[in-house]
Amino acid sequence: MIVLEHIHASFGRRAVLEDIDCTLPSGRVTALMGPNGCGKTTLLRCMGGLLLPSAGRVLIDDDDVATLPARAMAQRAAYVRQHAVTDFDFSAFEVVLMGRNPYQRRLQNESEGDWAIVEDCMKQTGTWHLRFARPAEMSGGELQRVMIARALAQTTPLLLMDEPVSNLDIAHQIETMRLLRSLGKTVVIVLHDLNLALRYCDDLMLLKDGKLLFHGETGEGLTTERIMAVYGVASHREENHIVYDY
Amino acid sequence: MAHGHRILAAGGTILRPAAALGAAVKTKNQARTLRQSSHANPLTLALLALLLLAAMCGSCMVGAVDFSWGEVWHSAIFLQLRLPRVLMSVVVGAVLSVCGAAYQSIFRNPLTDPYVLGVSSGASLGAAVAILLGLEAYLWGVGGMALAAALATVWLIYRIASIGNRMHTTTLLLTGVCLTLLISAAISFLMVMNQEKMDSIIFWTMGSFASAGWSDVAVVTPVAVAGIGVVLYHARELNLLLAGSEAARSMGVEVERLKRTLLLFTTLMVAFAVSASGVIGFVGLIVPHAVRLVAGPDNRRVVPYSMLCGALFVLVCDTLARCLLRPSELPVGSLTSMVGAPLFIYLLYKNKRSY
Repeated sequence: MIVLEHIHASFGRRAVLEDIDCTLPSGRVTALMGPNGCGKTTLLRCMGGLLLPSAGRVLIDDDDVATLPARAMAQRAAYVRQHAVTDFDFSAFEVVLMGRNPYQRRLQNESEGDWAIVEDCMKQTGTWHLRFARPAEMSGGELQRVMIARALAQTTPLLLMDEPVSNLDIAHQIETMRLLRSLGKTVVIVLHDLNLALRYCDDLMLLKDGKLLFHGETGEGLTTERIMAVYGVASHREENHIVYDY
Repeated sequence: MAHGHRILAAGGTILRPAAALGAAVKTKNQARTLRQSSHANPLTLALLALLLLAAMCGSCMVGAVDFSWGEVWHSAIFLQLRLPRVLMSVVVGAVLSVCGAAYQSIFRNPLTDPYVLGVSSGASLGAAVAILLGLEAYLWGVGGMALAAALATVWLIYRIASIGNRMHTTTLLLTGVCLTLLISAAISFLMVMNQEKMDSIIFWTMGSFASAGWSDVAVVTPVAVAGIGVVLYHARELNLLLAGSEAARSMGVEVERLKRTLLLFTTLMVAFAVSASGVIGFVGLIVPHAVRLVAGPDNRRVVPYSMLCGALFVLVCDTLARCLLRPSELPVGSLTSMVGAPLFIYLLYKNKRSY
């Protein structure tokens, strides 16, 4: 369970998040949505303990994220960045293996268990065939799936993902969303595709200008009026599908 | 836009079977190596250590004066000059190489080493000031001043070149170049002002083991052992730093604490190495890169192999420096720079698309 208590965040004098206050129950897939620059990434970084809010606090299972050591935090939440770093020379297998770091002691070698988890996570994300490839040799989508595999290899109850499907083709988008649903983990995922959210996410957090406009079930949240209010785009609902009126 | 995507997609499908084929071919050879230890191979380490030991014995035997094995233990040249000199070159080579490998991961930049960043020069300035102040009389006096100046240099570089939590390559290298120039100007100034002590100062800027004695070995070796130990101990986390500060943090690394610890200990080693040998350029750049070509990028292999290969490299360079033109000597730094500078230019050329 993640509790956000009156989170404020700012870069310099610009307020990025204003008074975000909500509770995300365990085991649910939550879409974090809103227009560009509305504070989605900042909020996700606050949840992952990568950024300290200027006011308020984030609790994961009753522990304040600000006081958790990096190692304990990494055993609870895995974070997938929007842009992966590509300028280094490890193979995809070694990259995913890095996800096992929070469970390893210093100077200790990886165990059979670590290798088995890595193989499993790479097969789940369809990246096992890339295991010898270097980041520079992979396409954007392949790299994104390797990064998802690395997050899965952390075997955390919580996954925080910043646009993990933005570079994926439609087949891999669907496959990835299905995979995330099937894991039974608490997932917070930044998405731009309203229909993907509607189909695969239990809950929705809708941000605009750093404020939380809606938090609740996705189907209830994505009304025609709200889409108009947040994105300024006219649309209508056809059965369980959002159609934009161009 | 849509057209562009289609071309990309087509390219992807053309490329993919080839990549899959490549992977399949590799699978045959690498299936065993995928699940192997990521640490250095003990056998390789032992072989390198033996090679180093043999080279040390060989190096002790050659030079301006020849003698046979029988008279070795009675020879003052052997005991008081060659042996400490050989030991010093081995220790300094190991230190510079390990620090180069560590810097390249900490700054996430393949072009960094203590010399390129100006840390060695900073240490040399500190050492020069210490000599002028007469601190040579104290055991840790010169090393301590070198350390203070080197730490100040690292701090400056870190403050100037870090933007957010990334080090900007161009700013990083230019900062290093500017600091090096500034420091050599300051050293020249000190030299002119203090002509009677000029000889001993010139030595810091050129790099030489000619005056290395047992007291240097005694001061530098414990620092080197401790520092290299600290780097080895954190080798896996160094790998994670390469994936980016934020990613490293989310995978359980206390990034800021780790960087502070490693910068402190690497700078400590560089400062003491420089206070004993002066500025020897590019060793930290050449050795880790050569090691990575053979052993891959994992710091759990790169650091220990670099330690032994770096020791061997500087030992060979110093032996050549004192034998090539005997009875006169070349500065050992000129030999390492002749190998290092072209490599640096090659790396710049290879990486130029990423700027």
